[in-house]
Amino acid sequence: MIINALNGLVYGSLLFVLASGLVLVYGLRQVVNFAHGALYMLGAYVGYSVTMHAGFLPGVIAAGAALAVVGVLLDVVVFRKLADRDPLVTVLVTFGVMLIIEDVVRTVWGTQNYAIDPPAALSGVVEIAGAPFPVYRLFIVAASAVMVGGLVVWLRYTRSGLWVRAASHSPTVAAMCGVRTNLLGPLVVGLGAAFAGVAGIVAAPFLSLNPTMGAEILVLSFVVTVIGGLSSFGGAFISAMILGQVQAFGIVYVPEMAALLPFLLMALVLVARPQGLLGKKE
Amino acid sequence: MTTPILELKGVNAFYGSAHVLQGVDLSIGTGECVAVVGRNGVGKTTIVNTLLSIAALRGGEVQMRGERLPRLAGHTAAAHGIAVVPQGRMILPNLSIEENLKLGATLRRPGGWNLDRVYELFPILAERRHTPGTAISGGQQQMLAIGRALMANPELMILDEPSEGLAPVIVDEMEKILRGLAETGVAILLIEQHLRLVLDLAERFYVLSKGRVSAKGLVKDVDRETLQARIMQ
Repeated sequence: MIINALNGLVYGSLLFVLASGLVLVYGLRQVVNFAHGALYMLGAYVGYSVTMHAGFLPGVIAAGAALAVVGVLLDVVVFRKLADRDPLVTVLVTFGVMLIIEDVVRTVWGTQNYAIDPPAALSGVVEIAGAPFPVYRLFIVAASAVMVGGLVVWLRYTRSGLWVRAASHSPTVAAMCGVRTNLLGPLVVGLGAAFAGVAGIVAAPFLSLNPTMGAEILVLSFVVTVIGGLSSFGGAFISAMILGQVQAFGIVYVPEMAALLPFLLMALVLVARPQGLLGKKE
Repeated sequence: MTTPILELKGVNAFYGSAHVLQGVDLSIGTGECVAVVGRNGVGKTTIVNTLLSIAALRGGEVQMRGERLPRLAGHTAAAHGIAVVPQGRMILPNLSIEENLKLGATLRRPGGWNLDRVYELFPILAERRHTPGTAISGGQQQMLAIGRALMANPELMILDEPSEGLAPVIVDEMEKILRGLAETGVAILLIEQHLRLVLDLAERFYVLSKGRVSAKGLVKDVDRETLQARIMQ
């Protein structure tokens, strides 16, 4: 039971990191970024290649840095150019970007599965409630907490975080107060993409690498953001933790229904509270 | 007239294909209080929106202290010492009162206005500093919008319909605050339909009609009826 709950916590933490990037980008650009899962996958592959040559930590840094660059390009080339268009157009373009990234990954790394061993320092097990539990999974929880905690501190307690929150609600008011809102887009989308990339490589020793890994987790990340409320970090946190547990216990107790449970939960939340758990009514 | 701090020369501004401002000339001297009056829909707010790059400037020019601003972006006005108290106040609900004020100080321009001084001017904001910006009354939100503009230590403050939706007693209070502000040397561009406020505060006026300046003059040379008649012409 406790081990199941811990596994749910691990998966929920991963979903939360990924959903945080989605929430961040949606908040500023009002765009649901379909390429987010592909960024997660690309981060995993980039991190994998660097890890094979230089070790796990350089792999994590490389994944974050490379994906930050991809995120900046995504903002400058796609989101900014389409800023005045119907958001649906941008969403469709991000879908195209997703397909392109998936093709690039297939071309460069092939279609086979890859696996990464956890770094030696994190490869052991600890005993929890009489059962062995991998240390690496606890590391995923800790790493997720540090990443999202850092993001929250940045948004809440720094000047640039204040500008991002202001521009997320009204770019006009932020600019009127002197904020160069055109620079916030690359910063925020770059950060969101870096989060996705780091999540990808951190998840790699826990889940295997393959070209469909992005699409699989993207769907669940959307479910997290929809349940939580599209622009709410708090909502995404609650939602990710619930979904992690639903996944972990669903697989054990109702395996034939496990894949459906997140969508069932989303449908229930949407019926009862269309704006999501902590989302605000339009 | 004193040296223009802001000058619009033959400004033509558009929303998409809608030609709203049609050759508007307007100037404000350092420390001056100038009013723009006119009926609804004549383009008064478009003057602000042009400076904020919400309306597209497609003809004429905008000068700050004699320097032509070649390209207007959303932050250009703030970068040149212009703070705006927009119509409808535009307080951000996802920020606390204090955060809304801090946003006003984004560019950290030197000057005497800071959080302590704004709180001294509007003690109610200090009491409720951690409250979401829109969880206060309309009058308090107007104080917050003025406080946010003051935090920028502006040389020119533009107020767009500041009396809109406020009780007369609050308008009186706001008038005292704006008068005190004008005495500190901050130039004020008052876009307003409330003629008493205009007549009490402004030194000069422009009447805007169908996107053009149809009349202008010194406030001391007109009374309420004359000004009203010029607006209705």
